[in-house]
Formats: sequence, C-alpha cells, structure tokens
Amino acid sequence: MSTEAKTSEVLDSPTEPKQKRLRFGGNGTLIFGLVLIGLHLLIALLAPVLTSHNPYISDPDAALYGPSATHLLGTDQYGRDVLARTLYGGRYALQVTFIATTITVAIGSALGILCAHLGGWFDMVIMRLIDAILAIPSILALLVVVTVFGNSIPVIVFAITIVYTPAVTRVVRGAAMAVVPLDFVTAAKARGESAFAVVLREIVPNVPGVMLVEYAMRASWAVLLISTLSFLGFGANPPTPDWGLMISEGRMAMTVVPWSVLAPIIALSTLVIGLSSAADGLSGRLGVDRLSKGA
Amino acid sequence: MLRMILIRLGTAVLTVLLAATLVFLAIQALPGDVAQQVLGQDATPAAVEAMREQLGLDRPVWVRYGEWLLGLVTGDFGTSLVTGEAIAPELGIRLRNTLMIAVPTFILGVALALYLGLVAGLNRDKTPDRVASGIALVGMSIPEFVTATLGVLLVAVTFPILPAVVIDGDQASVVELLPATILPIIVLTISMTAYILRMTRTGVIDAMASEFVVTAELKGVRRRDVVLRHALPTAILPTLNVLAINVAWLIGGVVVVEAVFNYPGLGSYMIEAVHNRDLPVIQSVAVVTAIIYSLANLAADVGAMLLDPRQRTRQEAS
Amino acid sequence: MVRKGATSGRFPHGTCDPTSLKKVTYSSHRNKPVPRRSLLQLGGLGALSLAGAACTSADGPVALPQDAARGEPSQGGTLRIARPANSRAETLHPAASLSAYEYLGALYNRLVKLDEAGVPVPDLATDWEVSDDAMLWTFRMRDGVEFHDGRPFTASDAAYTLAQILDPDLGSPQLGVLAPVMSASGLRVQDPTTLVIELDSPHSDLPSLLSAYQCYVIPDGSGGEIGATGIGTGPFRLDTFRAGGRGRVLAYDDHFAGRPVVDEIEFYSVQDTQARTNALIAGQVHLLSQSNLDFASAQVVEASAKATIARVENGQWYTIPTLATSPEFSDVRIRKALKLAYDPARILAVAAQGNGVIGNDNPVLPTDAAYLDLPHERDPDRARALLAEAGHPNGFSFDLSTSALDPVFTPMAVSFANTVRDAGFDVSVRNESADSYYTEVWMQKPAMVTYWFTGRPVDQLLNQIFRSGSSYNESAWSNEQFDSVLDAARAEVDPDRRIQHYQDAQRLIVEEGATITPMFADRLVGISRDVVNYHEHGFEFDYINIGLR
Repeated sequence: MSTEAKTSEVLDSPTEPKQKRLRFGGNGTLIFGLVLIGLHLLIALLAPVLTSHNPYISDPDAALYGPSATHLLGTDQYGRDVLARTLYGGRYALQVTFIATTITVAIGSALGILCAHLGGWFDMVIMRLIDAILAIPSILALLVVVTVFGNSIPVIVFAITIVYTPAVTRVVRGAAMAVVPLDFVTAAKARGESAFAVVLREIVPNVPGVMLVEYAMRASWAVLLISTLSFLGFGANPPTPDWGLMISEGRMAMTVVPWSVLAPIIALSTLVIGLSSAADGLSGRLGVDRLSKGA
Repeated sequence: MLRMILIRLGTAVLTVLLAATLVFLAIQALPGDVAQQVLGQDATPAAVEAMREQLGLDRPVWVRYGEWLLGLVTGDFGTSLVTGEAIAPELGIRLRNTLMIAVPTFILGVALALYLGLVAGLNRDKTPDRVASGIALVGMSIPEFVTATLGVLLVAVTFPILPAVVIDGDQASVVELLPATILPIIVLTISMTAYILRMTRTGVIDAMASEFVVTAELKGVRRRDVVLRHALPTAILPTLNVLAINVAWLIGGVVVVEAVFNYPGLGSYMIEAVHNRDLPVIQSVAVVTAIIYSLANLAADVGAMLLDPRQRTRQEAS
Repeated sequence: MVRKGATSGRFPHGTCDPTSLKKVTYSSHRNKPVPRRSLLQLGGLGALSLAGAACTSADGPVALPQDAARGEPSQGGTLRIARPANSRAETLHPAASLSAYEYLGALYNRLVKLDEAGVPVPDLATDWEVSDDAMLWTFRMRDGVEFHDGRPFTASDAAYTLAQILDPDLGSPQLGVLAPVMSASGLRVQDPTTLVIELDSPHSDLPSLLSAYQCYVIPDGSGGEIGATGIGTGPFRLDTFRAGGRGRVLAYDDHFAGRPVVDEIEFYSVQDTQARTNALIAGQVHLLSQSNLDFASAQVVEASAKATIARVENGQWYTIPTLATSPEFSDVRIRKALKLAYDPARILAVAAQGNGVIGNDNPVLPTDAAYLDLPHERDPDRARALLAEAGHPNGFSFDLSTSALDPVFTPMAVSFANTVRDAGFDVSVRNESADSYYTEVWMQKPAMVTYWFTGRPVDQLLNQIFRSGSSYNESAWSNEQFDSVLDAARAEVDPDRRIQHYQDAQRLIVEEGATITPMFADRLVGISRDVVNYHEHGFEFDYINIGLR
C-alpha cells in the first residue's frame, strides 16, 4: 500500500454525508471554540483598558504578594502585576501564531495542491522530502533554527513554518487528490486549459474546508509550540508578558504565589481548547476528517 | 503483500537517508567554531588550528559527509567533539533510558486510549463520551511542560514519594532510574492518551456505522462480538497512523519532559549537543529518531494491511 | 565547557570583613515571619485545588536567614552536592581552563590560601620571604605531607605545578596573570622543602597570585594523567570521577590539617538550576554549589521542610561589560553616558531584593583595603548631553544579552534597560541560550549581563579582568595608562603606595572603563537543614569542617 493509497483511502469515508455529524463537533463545539478564541482576541486587544497596571513595571517592594485589592492575582517575584501580565500575555503568542499559521497553511496548501495536480516526479520528490523532514524531530529542527538565527519573531515564524508546512502539504495534497479524478477537473483538463487555470479554478475552491480545519488545528499546535519555546528560553524575550515565559519564570515560586503560574496556564489552555474545539467543530461541519491524518 | 512490504521498506530506507542528508547539510550552517569551543575561549590560534586538523574539519564537506554515511552503515556513529569518545555507547544508553519511558508510556497510552475511546465511541453523546472527550480536549491542550512542572511540585516536593529529578545523569543504572521514570510516564501518558483517544473514538463511531457492522448486527451477531471482532479492528485502522506519529513524538519530542525531570534520555542528549555544537551527536540523534520514525510507519502500514477489513471481507467471502 | 566563563573559569573575588558593609535592608513589613511549614503545605494544596488565592501569604515574602547553621556535626556520613558541570570535557587538572571546580578544593591544596580578609595564609607553604627589590621569592614547604598515593610532597611538586600553568600549550587561565612576571626558567628547587622563584619583573605580592584556584599543587610529572587521577594532598581522595557526570571523593585520613568530618562527598552534575533546586527541596542533595538562587526560589527553599538558605555575603560580582571594540561602545562618551544614566540602587532592589551592596562601577569590593570610594551619581540629563555630543541627539539603541544561566541576569538586564530609558537609551533585552552563553555571547556581543565570584585579590582581579589582552578581559578595554599603573603597583614594595596605585587603577576603570558594575549581591546558597558548619568565602570552601547533623 503506497502513501497515496493510504491517504486517499482515509479520506474517502468522511466525505460521505451521513457521517458528518458523527465527529466531535457539531455547531455547539464550533461556537464554543469561536467564542473562546474571540474572547482571547478581545482580551489581547483591550488589555490596556482592562487593567490599569503596567505589565512591564516591577516594584521590588511588592514582590511575591498574594492576591489583594490592588493586585487581584497578586504579584510575581519582581513585583509585577500577575493579572496585567496574563491579560497582555496572549499578544505575543497570538501574533506569532497568526503570522506563522497563515504562512504555513498558504505554502503547505500551494505545495499540496501542486503535488496533487502535477503528480509524477514533482509529487514524488516533494513527498519524499516531506517524509524525510517529518522523520527529523521537530524540536531539533526548531532549536537548530533558533540557535542559528536568534529568537526574533521572523525567525520563530520561519522555524514554525519549516516544522509544520510538510504536514499541511501532505494533508492538503490528500484532499486535493480526492478532487483531481473528479469529473469537473478531468473535463477542464480535457478542454485543454492550462495547469494553473485548472488548479486555480477547479481544485482550490474544493479544498478550503481542509485548509480551514488545518488552519485552526495548526494554530492550536503553534500556540503550544511557541509557549514551549518560551518556556525553554528560546521564545519571547523578557520582560515581554508571555504565558510560556511567565510559567517558566514563575514555576519555582509556585508554592509561594501559585497564581503567577496558574493564571498563564489557564489562559494558555483555554486558548488552545478554543482553537482545538474550533477545528473539531469546523471539521464536523465541513465534513473533513482531520483526526485520521495525524501528522 | 510481501512485495508491498519490500517497497515500503525501500521507501523507509530512502527516507532515513534523505533525513540524514538534510540534517547534515542543515548543521553545516551552525555558526561558531567547533574547535574553538572544544578548546575554550583561552586557546591559542595555533592550538585551534591543530584541533581543526585533528577533528578533520579542514577537509571538504562532501568528504566528511561520505565518510559519515559509510560509518553509519557499519554502526559507527563517530566520536563526540566534546568528550572525544565514541558516540555509539552513549547513544545506546540514552536510547535505553528514553525507551524506559517511551515503551511503558506507549503501552499504557494505547491501552487507555483504546479502552476509553471504545467506551466513548459506543456511548456517543452520552455522559461517558462527554467526560472522556472533554478530558481528552483538556489533556491535549495543556502543554507537557505544565503537567511536568505540576507533577514535580505535587508528587516530589509537596508529597515526597518519588524523586523530583534524576541527579545521577547518564551513569544511573536501570534500577536507579526506575523510580524516576514514573512521573515522566504519567505526564507523557496524559497527552498521548488524549490524542489517541480522540482518534479511536472517531474510528469506533465510524466502524459502528459502517455497513458490515450494521449487517452483522442485523444478522443477529451478539453486540460484544460485533464490537470486538468487527468494530475494534476497523477502528484501530485509522488509529495506526497516529500511533506511528506518536512513537516518533515519544522518542524525539520528550525533550521538555526530560528537561524538567533532568532525565538522561535522548531528548536531553540532543539539547546538550545543540548547545555544545556537538555536530556528530546531533546527526546521530537525528538519524536514530528518523530510523525509529520510519520503522514505526512501516509497522503501521503492515498492521493496516493485516487489519484492513476490506481484505478480510474478501477473504471471508471466498 | 560552556559554563566555563561563568562558573569555574570566572570566579571572581574575595571579600573581607562582611560586617562593615552597609546593607540595603528590607522594608519592615517584609520581615514578618511566616511559619514555614504552613506556607509550604498550604502552597502545595493551593496548587492542587487551584484555589491559590486562599493559600498565599498576602503579607509577602519571608525574611531569609543571614547565617548558615553552626553546631556539632555527627562524625561521618555522605554529603551530596549538586553542581553545574563545567562541560563533558571537564578535567581534574587544576590549571586547565575546563577544570571541575568543586573537586579541586577537596582533592588538592595550594601553596597559600586566603583568609576571610583576603590575606594570603599558609597552606602547603609554611612561610615565605621576598627580596627588597621584589624579584626573588623563597617559599618553604610543609614537611611530612603525603599525596594520596603515598608519595611525599616536596618543592619540586610545587615547581612542577607552576611550570604547568606557565606552559602555553595547556592554555591555563592563570597564564595571563603569571606570565608577565615569571617564567618556568625562574623556578628553582633549592632543596626538598625550599622553592625559590626568580621573577622576570618585580611583584611585591606574589603569594596572592598563587592563591588562585588554578594553582592547586599536583605531583611532579603528573600533568598527563592528573585530569583523571586527581591525586593531591587535600582532605579527600578521589574514588570515582566522570566528566560532566557523577563522582565521589573519600575522606583522606592522613590529611595534614586533620581528617574531614564527613566520610565521603558525592558530586552530582545537574545543569538546570531549577532541577538542582528541586533536587534540594526533595532532599536528594544537601548543597547546591555555584548556584545563586533567585529571590523566589530562595523563598520556596526557605519554606520547605528539608532545605534552607545560606549566604555568601557579596559573593556575586555582577557586571555589564560593554565591548570597547564594538561600534556601539568604542566611544568613551557613550560609555560614560550609560554609566550616568542607570540606577544601581534600583537594580539591586529589583534583581537581588536588596541582598547586597551597590557597585559604583568599581570592581573592587567596598570591604577591600585598596577600595577607592567614588560614589556613583545618576544624572540622566548629563547622560543625554553626552549622547548628543557623541552624535546621538535623538537617543541611542542597543541590544543587551541575558540568559537563564543565573537567575539574577534577566531582572538585572530588564531593570537596567528601564532605568536608562530616561536618558535616551533604547535597550532591547535579548534572551540567549544559557549553555552557550559563554561561548557565543560573552566577549562577542556588544553588551551582556554576567557575573564573577568575588574573592580575587586586587592585583589578580585588576590584571586578569581589566588588563589589555588578558584572556578574561571581558570588555576588551585597553588602556596603556591603566596597564602601566598596574605594573607600578606590582613593583611597589611599600604597601601604602601600592594601594595608591591600585586606587588610581580603579579610578581609570570607573571613569574610562567599559565595564559597568551595578552591584555585589549575596550568593543565596541552597543548603539542607541537615548540614552544619557550611562555610565558603571567595574561592575558599571549607571541606574539612562541613558536616551533617
């Protein structure tokens, strides 16, 4: 059984309409996810309105205090307001996630569709390369890229793109493969239309479901990855309020001021839950079986 | 079928080779002079030059690449730039240590996920399903570094039953390491179960709705038999792919957990090597993980062939 | 290898009478004691139940102890020490740049060691004298001392040890300090108990240079294998050692200063500071060496049942070297502006919670006899004017590198960046990898935060870290006048006039130099509650008297 066979086979079943409602999501899941994401976007945008504390300013006289009227969630070890840092903390991750995921899904989809359409050698070479990249632990690739080029936002975006593009390519290629043999594409080819025109007009409109689901899922993974990078000291630069960085900085003081760690944990997890739920809901609604494709 | 397996095996070998090449090329781009690092900041230029020669860094890239590939085939992973010792023994120890976490995690995770996925899938949209799916969603949304940190704090520090971290480094024997594997296994099992559970659940739901299961039920086969003989194998089929990916994740991606627990496995070996620019070690770890990844995929493919219900239906029909 | 710069390679210097130091004290409410048991239990439960609000002390942190526990230890036992290994290439050769620092003091002795006031006192040398022109030094060796393998210690071992350091092929960090005044040909073994050193240029305080931790005495001719055998005269003999790994030393019954209290010491290599701290709290180890705990970790350790905090007063000399060779900082006006712009008191308060003294950009500790008191003055307006004069009327921006290697680095960098903003400096703090901090960042990036141990005698300190071309000259500052002042100080026999020279040197560093010294902070050492008589100052660790309850 070749890779193509496996992928297209897996894809066959979920396109049957009767199974659509069987996935995790219905509209409820989708709405739940979107609400969580919206909430996080709102908080990130409105952070300056929601709190009067500056997330950067330390106050050595108020370090390591528990919750009080002035500091609702207490202070961290440099006397910074935990609530303010948590509210501002999504900005970095959301920003990097948005840019990185957009680029990843764009490149991955383009490559995947091209592979499906062109087939032959092009497809062979790209797929072998993708298999090879997927075989290398992603964290190794990430660390190497960040060590080489530093931890600026463009570099982290670049690193995430390298790590996730192959998987997106594979999935979108699978989805496009299912479309390629369909009558309208064959007919367009028969009409003698150029490859580019066929791809653009006939294939692209038929895979956005997969792309959208990929987007939501990769975004949830990207958020986790970015916070993990920050946790390991390769992501956001201090004193940026960033959840991964906050957890990393505060984990030692957890027994003393638990909220300095719990608040970013809750924030981070709800964002990821929101993105995963949106992906689930979308795949349920659009009839895309994303789970079975893994990677 | 044997031909298929051989073709897949060939593909796997090609993948490993390609991956090895990519890694080799990528780390050539690392900045910093290895010889300078080995000798330290205070070394004289002459000493650095001598070290470059001794390490073979003065020879062309492609010569080193060729020699390295030849070495790999014969099981020679080269020598570490930092310790000057052969990599293979250390790599073996690290791999063993990681496997001590990975294998129990894998078995535990798959068993739990299959069971919970089955329960959830069979009780679709009822309480057990909602609970299991909800927990799975949360489980995969909380990063491992959070669960690991909480784990160290609660079990090792506040209620000191298990060791907080491994302090013996890679010299720890299997017996010494055993208590230290428990927390990492728990942490990793949580995320892994969450991922696979969702897969199994979907598989079970699909399988239970499929025509042959419906037919079997209509024919009056007992539900238990339907589930165990028809639904479960069908449900496992799409799960296999995810399992293969999880194996790779376990071997290479446990970096964070190993870092928090100071566990001397493959992941921490990799991080150390990246920091020290220990190029031969980075290459070796990448190749080993690529081999494991490819093997896991191969196993998943073969497993899929064995489990494919269509094949089996055909056999039963004949 | 990677931490070499920061840890064993770069321990900086020693202190004198700590009591005379003025400390920045806590605001009073902070000293309110909180029962440690309840804090811990509640804290743990809080994390468990996610009901954190109920469990924290809203009164803020508890006060940390001032002194390590003293008392009568029980004889014997195994002391377990967690340390950050220098590198997987580390060695027991004391003179090497990648030495395993913690083992050295246990395995070896030097000719001289430093007392708490930083004055050289006998160790393997019982006494010494110098000629009037400070060119000829004579050291008398302790009699009847045996190495761990039974060989008697003689003056030729001492001569061999110094010759090793002076061998350029070994690349010893002490080479740059000793080579300007002596060479191997000047070492003469007059008789088994007398070593004569004929200097190439005068030095009136040679013994203080021989107290460096690279100068531990090894047996004659052992250079090839000492890195693995660790045979010395120290209070412990080597049992096992593995570079970057675990090792063990056993009490040496025949040690000349008496047998140590504990039977054995086990050393564990734990690279991650957090992991080290967790191991301490969980009772897996007794002591964290070379680890300054941040304030939060110190609070957690102090609140735990098994561990507490001991201090090495002013043990950490924190610096911000600005590379004098970089385009950013080659102009002395910009360096002066930066010094005028920042606020050391603020940095001490934020980064070290006031546990230390401010540094006045002077590398010499205020307790040192040679200290020159030039108080730091903050003047953002003058800084801005200097910047404009240097061609940056609209402000000046640069990157400041930090890492998780030491927990004080990042808050120090961040508060530094905050305090210089008023004067028109736009500083971006960059987090770099901890493990390659001293290979990729130190002496490479234009500005970074770093530290040294305090404990170096003033001559060693100024020559090793500020002299032109020295391998540890981290700011690459080069000033001929400064170098000649140091030469004059070395040649000066009169103690008062020598101090005068050292003070001139300090003035040059403060006014012209490229190193900013915001503070000297106490090293907060994590230590088990079972440990008694822990004592460490500068590079001197008391391995003999430390014991377990």
